[in-house]
Amino acid sequence: MMVRETTLHAKDVKTTFQPVLVTKWLLITIAIGFLGIFIVVPLIAVFSEALNKGIQLYFAALTEPDALSAINLTLLTAAITIPVNTLFGVLAAWAIAKFEFRGKNILITLIDIPFAVSPVIAGLVFVLLFGSQGLLGPFLEANNIKIIFGVPGIILATIFVTFPFVVRELLPIMQEQGTEEEQAAITLGANGWQMFFRVTLPNIKWGLLYGVILCNARAMGEFGAVSVVSGHIRGLTNTIPLHVEILYNEYNFTAAFAVASLLALLALLTLILKSFVEWKTNKH
Amino acid sequence: MGITIKDVSKAFGTFQAVKNVNLDIPTGDFVALLGPSGSGKTTLLRLIAGLEGLDSGGIYFDDVDYTYKTIKERNVGFVFQNYALFKHMTIFDNIAFGLKVRPRKTRPSKNEIAEKVNELLKLVQLDHLANRYPSQLSGGQRQRIALARALAVEPEVLLLDEPFGALDAKVRQELRHWLREIHQKLNITTIFVTHDQEEALEMADTVVVMNNGEIEQIGSPEEVYQKPESAFVYSFLGRVNEFREPERVGESEIISYIRPHEIVLRKISQGNSIISEVSHIHVIGSTVRIELRRHDTGDLFEAEMSIEQYQNMSPVKKGDILHAEFKNIVVFNSENKITHLANSGIRNSLKSKLI
Repeated sequence: MMVRETTLHAKDVKTTFQPVLVTKWLLITIAIGFLGIFIVVPLIAVFSEALNKGIQLYFAALTEPDALSAINLTLLTAAITIPVNTLFGVLAAWAIAKFEFRGKNILITLIDIPFAVSPVIAGLVFVLLFGSQGLLGPFLEANNIKIIFGVPGIILATIFVTFPFVVRELLPIMQEQGTEEEQAAITLGANGWQMFFRVTLPNIKWGLLYGVILCNARAMGEFGAVSVVSGHIRGLTNTIPLHVEILYNEYNFTAAFAVASLLALLALLTLILKSFVEWKTNKH
Repeated sequence: MGITIKDVSKAFGTFQAVKNVNLDIPTGDFVALLGPSGSGKTTLLRLIAGLEGLDSGGIYFDDVDYTYKTIKERNVGFVFQNYALFKHMTIFDNIAFGLKVRPRKTRPSKNEIAEKVNELLKLVQLDHLANRYPSQLSGGQRQRIALARALAVEPEVLLLDEPFGALDAKVRQELRHWLREIHQKLNITTIFVTHDQEEALEMADTVVVMNNGEIEQIGSPEEVYQKPESAFVYSFLGRVNEFREPERVGESEIISYIRPHEIVLRKISQGNSIISEVSHIHVIGSTVRIELRRHDTGDLFEAEMSIEQYQNMSPVKKGDILHAEFKNIVVFNSENKITHLANSGIRNSLKSKLI
């Protein structure tokens, strides 16, 4: 009796679980297939195209003066954008998470605008503001300040586009943590700086790093907004993505893909760092 | 350090959290701020600490005006309800924090800090946990570390916000006893907030009963329990049966109260007693609570007795008819004046309600 019952039971289990198993593998296959077609294949294509005329040509494309200048400008843009957005991101997240004030929801909505609007519009806004036909144009021209079609415009547009990354990462973390630990620090005699560096910052550091990584990836890869304000002056106002576009339009495919591979490498590096930070955060 | 609170008020938007509160706390006193949630007790505690700014009035520490002093200048130790330990620091670093953030001139040396921290860890009996992180500790242990951390800066006033609120009953009992001991050892003015009347009565030298942002009564645990000055204090400080007299034209409703243990139950009629039927018997450890329904009005009330008394009159079971004598009925009139009625004709018209 006993034996028969158990076998019956085992059979039951098998039949009920079989469809679940099928669903599971079906879903996994679809997900992997999709990712393969849309992400892995293009990634391989970029590198194979970049390297198919030999390694010398690949490096030549990366070291020619215009490419170097594009790389420099991209690094410069990131070097300015990231500290600025980190600072303002922390300030904004702090204000929203730790204080109650009127218009808080409006502020949160405003922070999301760069995510909501097309980067091209963001670029156009700056042209309208700072361009020679723009609102501040005459003033800027009179004082000999060039923003549009110059490096300042590129940096401004990049800051605009990448502003939400740090805030958006920090806000939920800071809201969840509340203010009790900070208040405890103050009652124990800490001043504002000590409270921030010893209590607040350690609590948000992984979230902050995550936000900075994403911000950096976007700052280096931004195309639309930068394209509108840059003016595409070779060797002067071209970032890496703009340089890739120019090379491509000139049918210089190998060079285009070689420079593009830099951005692809950046993406891979970002992913690795991102998983590392996520792993670290979970361990916490 | 003694604390004087003069006419202090605080509102959050339109909500008046604390209204014209006056309070005098002598040095070394152990005070409970007792009240239901929303009574303003935590706000008052935070006003004393400087964590909230007051709207009007003044706060004096030993007759020195501290009303506008910063949190830092007040030198109070504050223990938060959820402990607020620094998650990313070890227990040792948590306790050392207050000493480490001092300006260089007054900061003790590393060795002195270590000595002080170890001393405090011994005081709270957790010296074996110095290198753990807060997440590795139990609730009771965290509470003790939070206290050690607050004591590290040698505060002159210790403020605790619902110190045992998040702990289970047994740990709570242990910690109450332990906190009393610590207070006796250090003799530092201590104020704690609680909504648990048993905790307040058991631990404090002085109980401050608060309701709706105002102080209802200040007194020793005995005073507030035995001589409540208002209906609120009476009903908040223990279990109570409430009786409402039917309203008469031109008169406000009279409410009278009696505590369950002041009701005597007998099997035979004796003196002025009310015939009631047992509707429920709860045996809770050493006390027995009996729920009864009055035959005259049909209302429920509760009587309480020790298990010995219960066993002496047993067997009592659901549905039995008993005679209830109301020993000490208390009536508060519109000025909150108290009248004790040992034996009154009122009771025949009483409508009772169980709280």
